[in-house]
Amino acid sequence: MERQEIMRRFAEAAGNPLSYARAWKERTGRKVIGSFPMNFPGELAHAAGALPMILQETDDPITAGHGVLFPFYCGFTRSMVDQAMRGEFDVLDAIMFGDHCVQLLGAADGIRMHLTKTRVIFFQLISSMCDPWTQGRSEESFAKLRAELEDFIGEAVADDAMHASIRLFNRNRALIRKLYDMRKKGTAPLGAIEMQHVVKSSMIMDKAEHTDLLQQLVAQFEGAKATPNRAVRLHLSGHFCQAPKPELLEMIEECGVVVVGDDLYHGFRYISTDVPEEGPPVSALARWYMDRNTGVPCPTRVQNNVDWDAYLLDAIRDERADGMIVLMAKFCEPHMYYYPEVKEAFEKAGVPHLLIETEHEGMALESLKTRVETFVEIVKRREAA
Amino acid sequence: MNRHVMGVDFGSTTAKTVILDLSGNIVAHSVAHMGAVSGDGVKQSMKDALEEAGLAQSDMGRVVATGYGRRMLDEADKNYTEITCHARGAVAMVPGARLVIDIGGQDSKVISVDSNGLVAQFAMNDRCAAGTGKFLEVLARAVEIGLEELGDTALQAREKLKISSMCATFAETEVISLLAEGHPKTDVLGAVHAAIAMRTLGLVGRVGKKGPVVMTGGVAKNPAAVHYIQQALEMPLILPKTPQIAGALGAALIGLDDYRAENKHLFISEHEDMAREEQMAADKACIPGCRGVPELAVDPFEKQPPKGKLKSLLGTIQNHI
Repeated sequence: MERQEIMRRFAEAAGNPLSYARAWKERTGRKVIGSFPMNFPGELAHAAGALPMILQETDDPITAGHGVLFPFYCGFTRSMVDQAMRGEFDVLDAIMFGDHCVQLLGAADGIRMHLTKTRVIFFQLISSMCDPWTQGRSEESFAKLRAELEDFIGEAVADDAMHASIRLFNRNRALIRKLYDMRKKGTAPLGAIEMQHVVKSSMIMDKAEHTDLLQQLVAQFEGAKATPNRAVRLHLSGHFCQAPKPELLEMIEECGVVVVGDDLYHGFRYISTDVPEEGPPVSALARWYMDRNTGVPCPTRVQNNVDWDAYLLDAIRDERADGMIVLMAKFCEPHMYYYPEVKEAFEKAGVPHLLIETEHEGMALESLKTRVETFVEIVKRREAA
Repeated sequence: MNRHVMGVDFGSTTAKTVILDLSGNIVAHSVAHMGAVSGDGVKQSMKDALEEAGLAQSDMGRVVATGYGRRMLDEADKNYTEITCHARGAVAMVPGARLVIDIGGQDSKVISVDSNGLVAQFAMNDRCAAGTGKFLEVLARAVEIGLEELGDTALQAREKLKISSMCATFAETEVISLLAEGHPKTDVLGAVHAAIAMRTLGLVGRVGKKGPVVMTGGVAKNPAAVHYIQQALEMPLILPKTPQIAGALGAALIGLDDYRAENKHLFISEHEDMAREEQMAADKACIPGCRGVPELAVDPFEKQPPKGKLKSLLGTIQNHI
């Protein structure tokens, strides 16, 4: 299949996830399980024969949802509740919620109150990542999640099925990581929107179908020569739950930027870490959960020996990036609390960075463009000085 | 080679043009008022500056545009953002400035400048017209007073009132309420300017307070805005003579840098020029065989014993021959 056709299919699923889910359900007659970000193991639902999909913020203005959540909740949570209130989630047979932040908890309650016929599976994960009991507590959480899932499906999920799902998911992640590596080296000149479509569609599509398309895509870049690009190389950081709006990414690239790396959830954060393929699958998932925070640190987790700011500075050196743009979703408390540390570390290291606060309701792109263009001019003039 | 460059600040309410000679001296400048990002206004501004300088557009070696309409100017060879240009222009006007407060028609920005005169950090109003010239314009209309009288009237304020809303529309409602309560226009306008100052202080907080502080942009010509901002900052503001043209000046200076870099083989500094003149004069006075260093010259027809180190050097050369 041609690259354009593969990318079109990824973009289609990324642009309308619930339509993809409806079509899949109609085709297979199987269950669809939606989940909130960030640490839900899709492997479990996949092994149970369901389609796991991570629920996505839409561009629609918040209407009905205003009656449930205050306007100072983040755009992702308000969009989730709004979609639920408008009946958009009728395709979902179950929704899995985690307790990653207070706002996600609020959204979970709002949805639970209104979708009384949809099975809600709630799971809690220990947020302290380096205690002696972290592995054990994580195993307990995933074992409980498995048991709830089995209860919902009505049958046991076999270890063999889980191992097979883990291998498939790992393969999918490895292929996307390969694309990231190729983009960094310039041999896969994928734009920021294209890369988002690759990752976002992986959160939605049937994993085998997605992996097959990915293999074909990666093969087309194998052996390619690096394309010289004189644009300013930047790393994109932030957005732990929702995808940055494509028009924002487009605007950033129009300012003479090439995105060479990211730690976005709809980016490298999602595919950074594999699940161990050996041993009991629940233990493997617990290990994956813990490793993810060293793969790409998350401000919602607490780990004394891991710094997100140090990780970002390392990533920028590795990517040979000239600077970083931080995309902070408005009212994202974990990000707001952690950002001062990132700012301080970057200023100390002399690495330029620009903070952009993003909003569900849209942004004044022209004004933002002036800020990004200025940032690019700063980076260029500093390099020339 | 052309002997002049032009910087054009295609702003939201005014267009500014600066023409520089190749030494960086301002030859002409102009400010034209216009409607929202008007092509006619910017053309008028460029025409006025060219007429003042007695030059034609074709005499410009480089044209750099900045401001809201920077991408719309056909004559521009390059464009840069108003933040980069205002910082450059303000530092040129006030050497050593470390913080630039620029309040223009539709935006306000605070730029921190490093010791090399480069932009270190910046913050700008990103959502509404709060704290901008437009904010003042709306509120001047609400109190039925001309924009040019606004500052002097506000300076006569006696009682401290408070306008808490930063939104121009909501602030207008507050202004009307205060007037309806019987407060004099002077006090109400004092509160309006105090609100702008607090907004500016917020932007300063985002990039870090440091001095010397220079204020540019049209609002720098409003004495009440300057007074209240100084009071809020607890620091003096340095006001250039022509604060409105800082962006255009910065654009012209960046254009000059580019033009110089591109034609560096044609450029010689004044110092180099003088050195070359002296050399030519010396060459003319030289004896045959001179290679441009007269004191080392040797007249082949006049045998004079060399002196000191030169003697030993020449001796060595002769031995080798």
